[in-house]
Amino acid sequence: MTQRPMLEISSISKSFGAVQVLHDVSLSVAPGEVVVVIGPSGSGKTTLLRCINLLEDYERGAIAVDGEPIGYRLQGNERVRMSERDIAAARATVGMVFQSFNLFPHMTVLQNIVAAPVRVKGVPRVRAEARAHELLGTVGLSDKAAEYPVRLSGGQQQRVAIARALAMDPKLMLFDEVTSALDPELVGEVLAAMRQLAQGGMTMVVVTHEMSFARDIADRIVFIDGGVIVEQGKPDEILFTPRTERVRAFLKRYNDRYRI
Amino acid sequence: MNNFNPLIHSFPYLLRGAGMTVLMATTSVVPATILGVLLALLQVFGNRALRTAVIAYVFLIRGVPLLVLLTFAYYLLPLTGVDLPPFWGVVLVITFYYAAFMSEVFRAGILSLPQAQWDAARSLGMTRPLLLQIVILPQALRLAAPPYVSLCVSLVKATSLVSIVGLWELTMASREVVERTLAPFQVFIGAGAIYFCICYTLALYGRHLERRVIHGH
Repeated sequence: MTQRPMLEISSISKSFGAVQVLHDVSLSVAPGEVVVVIGPSGSGKTTLLRCINLLEDYERGAIAVDGEPIGYRLQGNERVRMSERDIAAARATVGMVFQSFNLFPHMTVLQNIVAAPVRVKGVPRVRAEARAHELLGTVGLSDKAAEYPVRLSGGQQQRVAIARALAMDPKLMLFDEVTSALDPELVGEVLAAMRQLAQGGMTMVVVTHEMSFARDIADRIVFIDGGVIVEQGKPDEILFTPRTERVRAFLKRYNDRYRI
Repeated sequence: MNNFNPLIHSFPYLLRGAGMTVLMATTSVVPATILGVLLALLQVFGNRALRTAVIAYVFLIRGVPLLVLLTFAYYLLPLTGVDLPPFWGVVLVITFYYAAFMSEVFRAGILSLPQAQWDAARSLGMTRPLLLQIVILPQALRLAAPPYVSLCVSLVKATSLVSIVGLWELTMASREVVERTLAPFQVFIGAGAIYFCICYTLALYGRHLERRVIHGH
């Protein structure tokens, strides 16, 4: 018997006005699996990620996290939007880390991390703070709890953002090009935190341009172009022996650009 | 012109008038601020009907001088049978007038926050009321602080108009003194200086608050 997927995306489609950015995309992610999504700019990677926790609405299809629908329920053949409260509750089970960190600038690092556990999940503050300190320890920022985000480097802010998402004990973590806004020398520390998370068995969907990291961390790589999944498979298959011309062309462009 | 005796003698009287000015301003500014935040929220998040109603209200109020509104209320209120003491009638008009301007300042603060802040709060499972309360409004109000303080200063000065409808405050007190002493320059220099001190103090306090909330934490 196959295990129930942690994330099940079934035939979703999404348009921005007249432009369709996702065409009938389906993707299933097993518990503990790390799926890395690659593809050219504007291919729909980020939109797909944002649909998973309904930061973007989608027009057709369904998404379920650990068997629970997120965003829409099916009543007969009707697709019915869940209440805002139910959507918020569903989002709380999915952690997301953004390209531009998106920490709350008016809160300290500690406040950033405990705000949601305390106010959304009702965790007692003392317990939430203890957990926050523990998480800051695992991302190597134990001494930064009282700082405001503006006083941290990009890499540190991004690690706080990871700790903030983890503080909700999510079932699934989404990473949206989390190293793209970082100086090259700060990328390593963020990738290390993600690698540690993957080794700990977290289910992750990662959109990235870091191919060596993708190869290193991914159980599976999904290549998206033009809003459709063009190819998916084991990292070495996709990166070294791609079956389609589009993936080959993308990787060639990538290698040309990053060859030193 | 050189004789400032009339001002010196009447200064305590003018200060009493200034007390009334401050009382009127502080009584108006609190409800105006609350109503301003409420109107801003309705304009950003309300349904189409509410949004239209708020926009119409803001445009209407912004298009009519405060003096006209005060005079209008002065004649209208007795006709409606509402027996409101003049002080409260004036406070009501100033409140509704400044709430319209404040709502625009707060709305600008809310809209100037990057979408990323909303995304981050939503992704953590926050409902709209919660994310407004702990993420959006604290930042939006900070952004709105400088123009908000300017509006408060303007509100203090606007109270001078109520002397037209017969309410006693600093400007009215000054006019009375002028009638007795026939020394308009000296007296109004004094009144102007008192207004300046009130507004300057307010502006300084605004700067202090701004520094504390934005930089000092």
